[in-house]
This record gives sequence, C-alpha cells and structure tokens, in this order.
Amino acid sequence: MAKWKAPLFFLIVIGLLAFSITTGKQVKLSWSLLAAGIVGVAIIFLYWDFEQSPVSPREISVIAVLGAVAALARVSLAALPNIQPVTFLVIVSGYVFGARTGFMVGSTAALASNFFLGQGPWTPWQMFAWGLAGASAAYFRAAVPNAGKWVLALFQFAWGYLFGCIMNVWTWTAFIYPLSWQSFLATWATSLWFDSLHALSNVFFYLIFGGGVIKILNRVKKKIEVSRLPVQDVPASNNHKLLLYKTITYSSIKGLPR
Amino acid sequence: MLQKFIYQEKGLFLQSLHPVASLTLIAAFFLLSLSFSHPYYLLGLLLVILLSLWAAGGLAAWEGYLKAVLWLILLIVLINALVNRSGSTILWNGPELPLFGRLPVTMEAISYGATMGVRLLNMVSAFCLFNLIVHPDRFFSLFSTVARKSVLVVTLATRLFPLLLATLERIREAQQLRGVDFSQGTLRERVMKNAAIFNTLLLSALEDSLQMAEAMQARAFGSGSRSRYRRDIFRPRDAICLAGIGLSLLVSVYSLARGMGTYTYFPELGSLQGSKISLIALAVVLLGLSVPALLNWGCKYWPYLKWKI
Repeated sequence: MAKWKAPLFFLIVIGLLAFSITTGKQVKLSWSLLAAGIVGVAIIFLYWDFEQSPVSPREISVIAVLGAVAALARVSLAALPNIQPVTFLVIVSGYVFGARTGFMVGSTAALASNFFLGQGPWTPWQMFAWGLAGASAAYFRAAVPNAGKWVLALFQFAWGYLFGCIMNVWTWTAFIYPLSWQSFLATWATSLWFDSLHALSNVFFYLIFGGGVIKILNRVKKKIEVSRLPVQDVPASNNHKLLLYKTITYSSIKGLPR
Repeated sequence: MLQKFIYQEKGLFLQSLHPVASLTLIAAFFLLSLSFSHPYYLLGLLLVILLSLWAAGGLAAWEGYLKAVLWLILLIVLINALVNRSGSTILWNGPELPLFGRLPVTMEAISYGATMGVRLLNMVSAFCLFNLIVHPDRFFSLFSTVARKSVLVVTLATRLFPLLLATLERIREAQQLRGVDFSQGTLRERVMKNAAIFNTLLLSALEDSLQMAEAMQARAFGSGSRSRYRRDIFRPRDAICLAGIGLSLLVSVYSLARGMGTYTYFPELGSLQGSKISLIALAVVLLGLSVPALLNWGCKYWPYLKWKI
C-alpha cells in the first residue's frame, strides 16, 4: 500500500479537478470547496504516512513537545500583528529532524494553538502551510548541505511570504470573484504588509534564537536516535585473542550447571 | 482573556451530544455555507448558527470572533468591489491604475462581496460553535482508532500547553530571584533576557519529553495492538438531531440541484423573489438544522424530555 500512496494522491487530486470541469451547470463545484478539498486530501495523506512510519515513543513525545512549545510561543505573542514564532521553530525542527517530523510539528502547532486562539476555516490551511514549511526545511538541507547562517535566514525570510501566499489562496478561492491574476495580486497586495512583518520576524527570531535552538535540537536528536553500529572487523593480529575470548566464554557457558 | 474561547463544561444538552452528532451539525453548517450562494440561504444559516450559539451560551465568545473577522470581511468587500468588472450597474468609475487599468465599482460586485462576507461569518461562527460544544478530547477520540499516533501527538500537545505555561512562569520567577530584571535595560538587553528564558524552556521541555517517552514505554506503549474503550454513548437525542440534520442536507441537495440555492450576481442582480417551493425548501433546511438548538431549549425547561431522550 505504501508504494501506491503517491500515485493514489495524485489520482484523487486530478479526479477532483476533472469532476469540477465535467459537472453540469446546475451543481457547480465551487473553487472554494475544491481548494479546501485538495488541501484536506494532502493533509490526510501526510498524516497517513506518519501513521505507517515506524515512529518511536521518543519521537512522538518530542514532536508533541515541539508542537506545544511553538503553540505556546504563538499564543503568547498573539497580540503582535503577524509576528509568528511558529514558522521559525517549525523550520528549525524540520531542518534538524527531517521532513516527516517537520511536517508533524508544523501541523500540530497550528492545530493545538487554534484550540486557544480559535479554530476556523483557516485551520487546515495553516496546518498545511506550516507543515510544508517544516518539511521543506529538510529538503532545503538536503539540497544545500552546508548552508551558512545568512542563507538559512534568507530561507526563513522567503517562508514569511510563502506562508502568506498559501493563506491568500484560501481567501482568494473562497471569497473573491472572478478568479483572475489581477484579483489574486489585489488579495496579495492587501496582505503584503503582514507578510513582510512575518518574514522579518522570522529572520529576527532566527538570528536571535537560531544558533541556540539548533544546538538544543541536535542534542535531543542524538539522544533519541538509535543507531546500530556495524560489526567491526578485527585486525588479523588480534584474531587469536578474539578466538581465545570466544572459547573462554563458550566454554564457561557450556560449563554452567543445567 | 482567552478563557472564553476554550471549551468549558457547562452541562448543556448540546455538549452532551455524541461527537458524531455534534460534528455532523458543524460540518453541515460549514459545507452548506460553502455550497449556497443565495443571500436568503446564507442569512438563514447565520440565524440558525446564532440560535445554536445562543443555546450554547456562547454569544459573548462569538463577539470576540466577530471582532477578529470583521476586518477580513471589509477586505473581501473592498477587493471584490475593486477587482470585479462583471457587474453592469456602475456606481463609481474608479481610479485608473497601472497594470490593472480602470477599476469601476459596481453594485453587483459590492453585493457579491457582502454575501461572501456573510459566508465567511457563517463559517467562522460554525467553528466558534465547535469550540463551545465539542470537547477536544472527545473529538480526537473519534479518530483514535484510525490515526492513533497522530491523535496521540495532538492530544499530548494540547495537554502539555498549560503545563508549559506553568514552566515558563517558573523559569521567569527563578531568573527574577537571581536578580534578572525583565523590565530594565535597552531593547536588545531585554530581548536577550527573554531569549534565555525561551532556551531554558525548550531544553527542559525536551528533557521532560524523553522522560515522558520512557513512561509511555514502561506502560507498554507500542508493544502490540492498541486496546481502547469508549465512554461516548449513542442516545435517542443523537438520533433525533442526526435525523433533523440529515433531512436538511437532503433538502439542500434537492434545492441546489434545482438551482434554488444559487443566485445570479452578474451581470445584473437576479430577482430575490423566490417561488413558493423554494421558500418551503429554505424553511425545511433551516428547521432541520435548528433541531439541536430547539432541543437544548426544550431540555432546559422540560426535565421530562431531558430524562426521556
């Protein structure tokens, strides 16, 4: 089943799009429903992937704690206009722990913080956008392995606008008519000020906290990872010692009373 | 301040519903708001949602939502009015802009924007109702069989939230006892003092998370298939509510298929006067959706009914 996940996902999305084209004039599947449907399907598939992954209790609790810390930071700074510490924290988590953990931290932070700030039609979109921010950070690390501090700061900056862009798609498809590039630009123009604040605050948080947080996360990563060392080849000169050791242990076990 | 948004157990009828019933109600509000574009239907839905909110004693919380969403509604009206050129009744010729050309403001575009504002308000109010009548844990317990790991992550995160808040206060107090004054110093110094708190919080929370994982493992988490038990019982009240919602969903599909729930905005506003059958359909849709709110009211004043269902 795992092999078919990606093709199945694309099949459903294409099916949704095809359905919207072919339905009759009376029952028209609106873009607002369609866009929400596609985002919903994406989230369900990503969660399904997490369900099937061999994730340890340690990873589960670390994801939960990171999500809760991000949610706490978001709620405590909720009074400031669009200063979102979540984006910074989620990107750093994805960067250190990998794409799956990054997605889970982002979407959990969105869902958990909205229980305190208010759930709304924006919740799935925020889960999707923040999850994507976390996952993309892991891919960014794979693509640019030795990224310096300023390159990462630029990545954080870009996500301020990308997040706004994803949220604008929601506003645009659900409430604006006609859906043209002009109307999208107009929607974006109204949010530009907030997005800029978001992007700048990401860079600010990254430059202030980034180094320390990455160090802490790396330390935790070391602690939760179980790595199996390969059996080391024993040099030829030491072979007899090993043989001796083996015979001793074997014989001592053999000699045990039964 | 945030307390009123969070679920509080008030012993209401609406809170006693099975999560399936209450979630179907919210989903029906949400989907119907997205499907209908006729102003009567959208306004009617708003009325029913407000009725349910009143029944759940959540009008004060709703006001908070209204304030938060009002600027978004104004923005939607503004963008629609400026960008949409499909209308024919021009109220103002609008400014000439580079890239966009002339932006005429038409009555049709304003009405469309206003209706979309009502749609947004409907969706947001439905979620406000969700926050008030569905306990997060009961909501997640619905999914615990199909998505046990994800549900565990989210439940842990929401549970840890107040705990982390307390830890934050503790760290702050400990720092203050050591002579750190958070209100003193330049902006940079104050930021650095708070950064130290954040790092300590993150570090201690992550240390705790490892202990939590060990506790989970000690309680045999992940050692086999998960056992579970359900406390939610399905009562006649849930069946009655689901029947009402189901009826209104069926009638909605019928009226959408007949084109009664949609409304022509462009190029000219259509007639608001509907046929007799469309009015009856609207009444049935709204009545079906208000069954839970009406039962809530009934159970408050008629203990026999509450006992019976």
